Amino acid sequence: MTELTASGAAAAGPKALPRLKKPRSHLGLAALFLAPALLGLVIFRLAPIGVAGLGALYRENLEGDQVFVGLANFASLFEDMGFWHSLRTTILFNLIINPFQIAISFAMALLVLRPGRGITFFRAAFFLPMTLSIGLTAVLWSMLLDQTLGPINALLEQLGFARQGFFRSEDQALGTMIAVASWKGCGYWMVFLLAGLFGIDDQLYEAARIDGANSWQRFWHITLPQMRRPLTFVLIADTAVNFLFFAPVYIITSGGPNDATSLMMFRAYEAAFTFMNWGRSLAYSSVILLIVIGVAIVQLKLLRHGEDES
Amino acid sequence: MSTVDGTMGRRLGLTGARYLALSALACLLLLPLVWLVMSSFRPAGEIFANSHQFGWRTFVPGRLTFENYLSLADSGFPRALLNSLFVAGTTMLLGVLVNSAAGFAFAVFEFPGRKLLLVLVLASAMMPFEAIVIPLYQIIRWFGWVDSYRALILPEVANGLVIFLFRQFFVGVPKEFYEAARVDGASWLHIFLKIALPLSWPVVVTGALMQFITQWEAFFWPLVAAPSPDHTLVQIAITRNISFEETSWGRLFSSTTIACLVALIPFLAFQKLYLRNIASSGLK
Repeated sequence: MTELTASGAAAAGPKALPRLKKPRSHLGLAALFLAPALLGLVIFRLAPIGVAGLGALYRENLEGDQVFVGLANFASLFEDMGFWHSLRTTILFNLIINPFQIAISFAMALLVLRPGRGITFFRAAFFLPMTLSIGLTAVLWSMLLDQTLGPINALLEQLGFARQGFFRSEDQALGTMIAVASWKGCGYWMVFLLAGLFGIDDQLYEAARIDGANSWQRFWHITLPQMRRPLTFVLIADTAVNFLFFAPVYIITSGGPNDATSLMMFRAYEAAFTFMNWGRSLAYSSVILLIVIGVAIVQLKLLRHGEDES
Repeated sequence: MSTVDGTMGRRLGLTGARYLALSALACLLLLPLVWLVMSSFRPAGEIFANSHQFGWRTFVPGRLTFENYLSLADSGFPRALLNSLFVAGTTMLLGVLVNSAAGFAFAVFEFPGRKLLLVLVLASAMMPFEAIVIPLYQIIRWFGWVDSYRALILPEVANGLVIFLFRQFFVGVPKEFYEAARVDGASWLHIFLKIALPLSWPVVVTGALMQFITQWEAFFWPLVAAPSPDHTLVQIAITRNISFEETSWGRLFSSTTIACLVALIPFLAFQKLYLRNIASSGLK
């Protein structure tokens, strides 16, 4: 991610240093400055990964003692239809929401890219929902889409349609989740794509125009290839966020109706805090962590790959 | 940016289609927020009265009232608001100190393993916090910190992304800047606190804002780490009140509006700086 700038700075460093009294290694000083931050990251970010992996190998017996059970928690998880259903639901959710959000964010970025009358207003309008937390977004939309009191259903009725269940309907709940999360998320991802679009060298477009490329060809052959890095970043970051999608499920549907929104993060929470089954919950957490770490590795690979080419 | 004019911009065109799409999206994104804020001034009896008709009355209350705000006074909401302000504010202050010091060390000091550590810091920044909430709860429980401000604040102080932003800034400062002060006999701590940190104010503002907003909006972690009413944060307090009876909607409107505004005001004040920095974090 930072290789280019990092190595550039490292190259400049040693050249500049000999001019002052060549400092010995700053090891002690560095340790002093770094200790609080590194301690925090190790205890609160790194250690939990180990705890998830190790804790998943233990189970609490009737006396409340932790007993080593090997992979038994994973085995019982994998035998459980509910687990496979929630894995399927989580993957389906991601297969839809990530391309959907990226397409919409990209379209939004292209719409506000060029200056024009009132564009500042539209940019601000597109940013605004991202300042709402995901929890409050869930609260707001559960009221908007409420079957009896919600204004969206009043509008539908006025237009001659039947009132819809949305979050209360087995068929609509997951789709509604996707729509509501995108209402908040698209403006955020747009920021990254907009920055990428601003970074494209105008001369590329000029050259293409001289060669007679039409606007579609310019988009396909210049904009898209130039946007590879920002698009890759957004795709992977968005996927990581959505594999961990939690708050709206907890607040509105609790995984229902009839397991329609049974996303993994909620099931992991429920295993620990509703059913007090920590072994199962940490096994769930480990599976989720493996997926997220896998996604992060893919991210690094793809970005590295992009750098080799440029 | 303006030279983009006439190239791909012309394709999208100053056409009506562009503005039609812009307006439709703006309505979709803004009207729910307008409805929320306006409804918070609606008298209790009116909420149900308007639920069968969609029109301008959906957005404009017949009579403006502050009763939804006043009725929050005797609920748990004021306490939650103060809790959130305290937790987010403390995290922000500690975070700026801790993360800028680390960023400074990565940029200025020579020490073995610097590159490897930086990669680890970046890796931590890429891992979403929610992924480790449940095992982190186990750790906090061993520490005996469940239901305390410590549990809410300390895990969010060190932040890989903010460290990285500080490092990028300090790497860009010419070394001569620090060397001059060294020759004058200033200690590194003095150089960091009196010279480097003030110089890096744009990153200080961005980092502080990021950490404040992250904490203000946090949901999953405070939900599990601080279950008692004494330590309930604002997001949790609001969602605990959610129900599908109209009687509670008035308070939901007003409390949600307040919680939104607290995050919105600093965001609007530093919008440009903030957006530029989060955007660059994705592109570097």
